[in-house]
Amino acid sequence: MLKTPQEYVDGVLAGDRLLLARTITLIESALPAHQELARNIVEMLLPHTGKANRIGITGVPGAGKSTFIESFGSMLTEQGHRVAVLAVDPSSSRSGGSILGDKTRMARLAVDRQAFIRPSPSGGSLGGVARRTRESMLVCEAAGFDVIIIETVGVGQSETTVASMVDFFLVLMIAGGGDELQGIKKGVLEMADAIVINKADGDNRLRAELARKEYSNALHMLMPASANWTPPVLTCSALEESGIEEIWQRIGEHHRIMSECGEMAEKRATQALDWLSFLLDDGLRRWFQTTAEVVAHLPRLQEEVAAGKTTPTAAAATLLATLHGRDG
Amino acid sequence: MAQHPQHQQWLKLTEKQMKGRPTSELEWLTPEGIRIKPLYTAEDLEGLESVNTLPGLAPYLRGPMATMYTGRPWTIRQYAGFSTARESNDFYKKALAAGQKGLSVAFDLATHRGYDSDHPRVYGDIGKAGVAIDSVEDMKILFEGIPLNEMSVSMTMNGAVIPILAGYIVAAEEQGVDLAQLSGTIQNDILKEYLTRNTYIYPPGPSMRIVSDIMAYCSQHMPKYNTISISGYHMMEAGANSVLQTAFTMADGVEYVRAALKSGLDIDAFAPRLSFFFGIGMNFFMDIAMLRAARFLWHRLMQQFSPKDPRSSMLRTHCQTSGWSLTEQDPYNNIIRTTLEAMTAVLGGTQSLHTNSFDEAIGLPTDFSARIARNTQIIIQEESEVCHVIDPLGGSYYLESLTASIVNEAQKIIDEVEEMGGMAKAIESGMPKLRIEESATRKQARVDQGLDVIVGVNKYRLADEKIDFEIREVPASVRDEQIARIATIKASRDNAAVEKALTELTVAATGNGNLLAAALTAIRARATIGEVSTAMEQVFGRYVASSRCVAGAYSSEYREENTVIAAIRERANRFLELQGRRPRLLVTKMGQDGHDRGFKVVASAFADLGFDVDISPMFQTPEEVAKMAIENDVHVVGVSSLVAGHKTLIPALIEELKRAGGGEIIVVAGGIIPPGDYEALFQAGVQAVFGPGTPIPDSAARTLSLLEAKYLS
Ligand code: B12
Ligand SMILES: Nc1nc2c(ncn2[C@@H]2O[C@H](COP(=O)(O)OP(=O)(O)OP(=O)(O)O)[C@@H](O)[C@H]2O)c(=O)[nH]1
Ligand SMILES: [Mg+2]
Repeated sequence: MLKTPQEYVDGVLAGDRLLLARTITLIESALPAHQELARNIVEMLLPHTGKANRIGITGVPGAGKSTFIESFGSMLTEQGHRVAVLAVDPSSSRSGGSILGDKTRMARLAVDRQAFIRPSPSGGSLGGVARRTRESMLVCEAAGFDVIIIETVGVGQSETTVASMVDFFLVLMIAGGGDELQGIKKGVLEMADAIVINKADGDNRLRAELARKEYSNALHMLMPASANWTPPVLTCSALEESGIEEIWQRIGEHHRIMSECGEMAEKRATQALDWLSFLLDDGLRRWFQTTAEVVAHLPRLQEEVAAGKTTPTAAAATLLATLHGRDG
Repeated sequence: MAQHPQHQQWLKLTEKQMKGRPTSELEWLTPEGIRIKPLYTAEDLEGLESVNTLPGLAPYLRGPMATMYTGRPWTIRQYAGFSTARESNDFYKKALAAGQKGLSVAFDLATHRGYDSDHPRVYGDIGKAGVAIDSVEDMKILFEGIPLNEMSVSMTMNGAVIPILAGYIVAAEEQGVDLAQLSGTIQNDILKEYLTRNTYIYPPGPSMRIVSDIMAYCSQHMPKYNTISISGYHMMEAGANSVLQTAFTMADGVEYVRAALKSGLDIDAFAPRLSFFFGIGMNFFMDIAMLRAARFLWHRLMQQFSPKDPRSSMLRTHCQTSGWSLTEQDPYNNIIRTTLEAMTAVLGGTQSLHTNSFDEAIGLPTDFSARIARNTQIIIQEESEVCHVIDPLGGSYYLESLTASIVNEAQKIIDEVEEMGGMAKAIESGMPKLRIEESATRKQARVDQGLDVIVGVNKYRLADEKIDFEIREVPASVRDEQIARIATIKASRDNAAVEKALTELTVAATGNGNLLAAALTAIRARATIGEVSTAMEQVFGRYVASSRCVAGAYSSEYREENTVIAAIRERANRFLELQGRRPRLLVTKMGQDGHDRGFKVVASAFADLGFDVDISPMFQTPEEVAKMAIENDVHVVGVSSLVAGHKTLIPALIEELKRAGGGEIIVVAGGIIPPGDYEALFQAGVQAVFGPGTPIPDSAARTLSLLEAKYLS
């Protein structure tokens, strides 16, 4: 049922939804053969990528990320943009299966012909998520989507991963009961290009406004990541679709400023380098774990370390030495 | 009084009969979390506030009226409606002639959701699951020959409640009836629509305003009319246990009272016209106790509003036996179940009752099945002699203790809701819906393991099922008839007058004019139900629910020793190993079918079994589902279909999938699909049909087999 790389490439470039979806499946697949095929496809599509506005969105579960993307994305398609959304969902741990309910919260965008939404089970390693999301993003760009939105739950490490592949990183917050800064990691604030307090509607409006002030103050205490951009703190209501327009304006402004001063190109270059080093690390690790020597000795060494019969340092040295021996 | 003097003696005897097994084995923990002992004595009644009260007097635990059935038995009120107004009218008249006492109208789903029959989104729904009503002309036919000044009419309408209630009022006007004489009930309970019934149209804010506008209008013009029926029934059918049903229903009630007070009404002007609606399941004593507990709780909750009229704290209720407890398998058993549940409602002191037909899990009632359902009540009323004593079980040690337990457990949840800021806020947070869905998912797991017995389904199952009775089918031609009638009306009315009235309604919606009053003008001018609904939608917008799904509840309910789950997970893992990803299934609902219990339970359980499960929004068109299936690149689309849309919508979906290049995606279906329709679905390309009562491990295993045959061989 697989096609040739060229067939996928032609399909993606022609904007064929089915082949775009199948390509992402190949990217996400755990089978080496699929990954090989996907690598070829991505390679061939690479010249057609890079033109989209890449936006990452994170926030605690229930902050309203999906609802926000529904309003925000619908506004963009109305303006003539083509929007692709990649949503990474946490898998249930015990069975490995998962429930992907994103589209129930993006009902309008889901049926919009100008939009493409792909929820993905996060299953497996974080490195996996990073690789798959990045490549899926590139494929969507090649398919002609000019705004790519990546939704990720702000727990664990996934937000760092996403921040390292987008042009604009938006942190969605909700006003809590009191101490606003609790529950948000300082690291996330440092990565944010904007902080948006969502659910500023009904009797929550006032609280959102207070939270906005608190975050602004907190941000002032931090060294801005860029001399050219101070991350704004805004409020919006994804549900009532207010404040959405302004966020898009700010993103545009960010894009213009950062492009003009050259920081955008720099950021993408740094991201490419980071990506390269990530791929190397990841590739080395995988190669390492599958070499005959490691397969033969690692389990035994692990047992010995656990039992205190040998030290971690000694065990690592032994394994690495077998590899040196092999090459030399 | 302390322990019964012979208690120790009894305990000794019990231990002896248990032959060494601990006596705690005789205790039972109900799904409500109430521990049931094998024996209750006078000791259990000590200190109970709710014991030894009198009917007709606060706290009304033993009944709202002083005489109860000794004065007049409950009203036999069967819920019905299908096809056209003409056909439903015939059905009603026959039922009334055969002993039914009140009417209860079931509308089709297009009407519920504010669409006229000619709307493209509802082409599979017209007349299928209720009667199609597009204008006051249909309404007049529906009540032809039924004097509305005498007949009490209940209408289950919540979404399109403004145009439908207006239609009923204008039909009455044109029968020459004085509005003050109208008696009956409009359901008008929007909160539970967001929770379980899913026929909302507008967002919660404007919807709550509609509720209050109706209360305001009716309290002035229709003093004998119940302006709301605060419903727990749908929660029960969606999976709520009896404590959840009681708690959320009470909390909904409190929310409505607050909304009405906020709109400026006096508590005693509207509270006496609040009515309730409870669902009655198979746990006989539990639900007798539930009705008594609910009356007690409502009285207690109402005191915070300081009513002066005693009727303001008096809970009057309609009841319906459980459709969920009825099976497609060995369906005559359903008559027995319904009889038991009817006895429960009667012993609990209901004011009116609907009893289900034995063909409940197959289709809408026929003349035959409806007759038996009705006669079930008539026989209890007229042959069993139960009506001679009020609250005959009052004073039973067990029942009184159980009543108190429900009061306590429900109060805890009510407090929790209050802490969240009331029921509207709680619903917004998703908490009540998730609780109900979790309860439903656990129930499914117990049934699938055979821990909760359902005769004919998971025990004593017949080798051969034979349907030897007629099944009601509503022909697709009903849609054509309705469309033609709409055209006639639009051609003969004064369109300028309609336009003007609709504009005024939109203006009322923008400001704060009474919406029912404004809609009456439009309906009198022959605006259609859809037009009136749309005039308000322009201001309010159409609500799209965001839904969450419980995870892990299904498998956690499984007993350690059960190996079924592990075997399926194993197969899903093997698929992952060989295919590079898990089997991926899109579970979806098309048309206006709002039954999401099975949809959610299946999605949640399949994820627990190792599938990646996509869930679609509700109310999709075949084309929309196809787009989603393609983008998510699923292996299987599973359609849950319960309101007879399967024969039109599923073949259409298969066509759309092919058109989008997804012809290889496997399509399976579940829900209310009469066995006679299976073949047609297979012909259309459906690869498996999982009817009611299919254990989830079975449908999962069969879905895996289809996948394995296709991908792993
Ligand atoms: C519960 C229920 C309700 C609840 C729904 C609550 C909810 N949130 O879901 C309430 C009370 C709100 C309700 C309302 C109505 N209902 Co109703 N309801 C039922 C009832 C009693 C049970 C359905 C159910 O949930 N069963 C439990 C679940 C777990 O089972 P299931 O969905 O069948 O799924 C199982 C299998 O079918 C299979 N399966 C199903 N789908 C899928 C999908 C996949 C992928 C797989 C693998 C398997 C699978 O696996 C499941 C496990 O075994 C049925 C009668 C019956 N006994 O079936 C009537 C029934 C479906 N309702 C009916 C009607 C008419 C209505 C109304 C339209 C009435 C009206 N006019 O107002 C309303 C409106 C609802 C709406 N918005 O659509 C009719 C439909 C008639 C018809 N088909 O011709 C029925 C058949 C009753 C009847 N005979 O009159 N209802
Ligand atoms: N009042 C209000 N509610 C909102 C708003 N945005 C989202 N919600 C509600 O918040 C809940 C969660 O929204 P989602 O969009 O699912 O949140 P999420 O961050 O994507 O959640 P996960 O994907 O589970 O991490 C839903 O019930 C939304 O309806 C808003 O602007 N105002
Ligand atoms: Mg989300």
